[in-house]
Amino acid sequence: MVYVKWIFRIIFWGAFAAWLHYTLPQHDIVRIVGTYEERQELGDWTKIFWSKPDTQSEGLINRDVQFIQGFDEKDKARVYRNEDTGWSWPPYFKFDTANLYTEANDAISTKDAPEWVVITHYGWRNEFLSAFPNAVAIKPATGPDMRIIPWFNIVFLTLLAALFWAIYVRWRRFREARIDPVLEDVGDSWDAASDNVAEKRGRFRAWLDTWRGKAR
Amino acid sequence: MGLIRLAIVGFVVLTIVYVCLSIYSRAVRRGKLEAEWEDDGMTGDRDAFIEQGLEDYDGSLRRKLIWGVYIVPVAFVMILIYVINFM
Repeated sequence: MVYVKWIFRIIFWGAFAAWLHYTLPQHDIVRIVGTYEERQELGDWTKIFWSKPDTQSEGLINRDVQFIQGFDEKDKARVYRNEDTGWSWPPYFKFDTANLYTEANDAISTKDAPEWVVITHYGWRNEFLSAFPNAVAIKPATGPDMRIIPWFNIVFLTLLAALFWAIYVRWRRFREARIDPVLEDVGDSWDAASDNVAEKRGRFRAWLDTWRGKAR
Repeated sequence: MGLIRLAIVGFVVLTIVYVCLSIYSRAVRRGKLEAEWEDDGMTGDRDAFIEQGLEDYDGSLRRKLIWGVYIVPVAFVMILIYVINFM
């Protein structure tokens, strides 16, 4: 029973951490090598990795999506999709997809004369599911070894931890004050009931034993 | 359409938070007034003292700060829209 509880806890908090990792912004330092548009079939469940634009009708299962191609400082390929989040989840309120596409095209550079930029994005790259992180902002970087401090994530996660702690402490106090005494009451009467049963059974046994010639 | 959906869902969620926080905050204040009554060893009408204290609380700045439940997220979203799209 203890194992079940722990497995359940690990799955729940693991899923929560993964969800935060997907949703919170991350930064890559890349040099942009190109952009392209490609028609995407979004008919199956992997559409959860794509935006759901306001203008997308329910029946529409494919549409053109913009992509930004880059290489990071370790010369690893990075591909981002460029889509509005609009008013829906995750709450980035990104409406400037066309502007970002223009900025990305402006920042295209070659391997010999690289122009490094910081791309803020959320989401995961997964080759098997054809999932791409969504680029949110492009800012010039000082160089490939620029140090980025994720202030937003630091503040956000600290506040989230504080909120959870505040709720947890109050819930514990509430449980100690209101629920535990009731459970103890129930436990006491349960103990009393089982004692009673045990005693009755003991007497019944003793009575049965008299038939077998034992002394009572 | 997306804006309307966000506004409705946001309003419902924030209203739930607002109501829960209001009830909780008033209960905390009531507990503090009761503790004050016990600690100071006051005599007389205990219920009237607590009622008076809660009425003072209803008019206080602390009570009005709970409106921040609505104001802070809306302000945050507006700042976010500006930062993401126009900066």
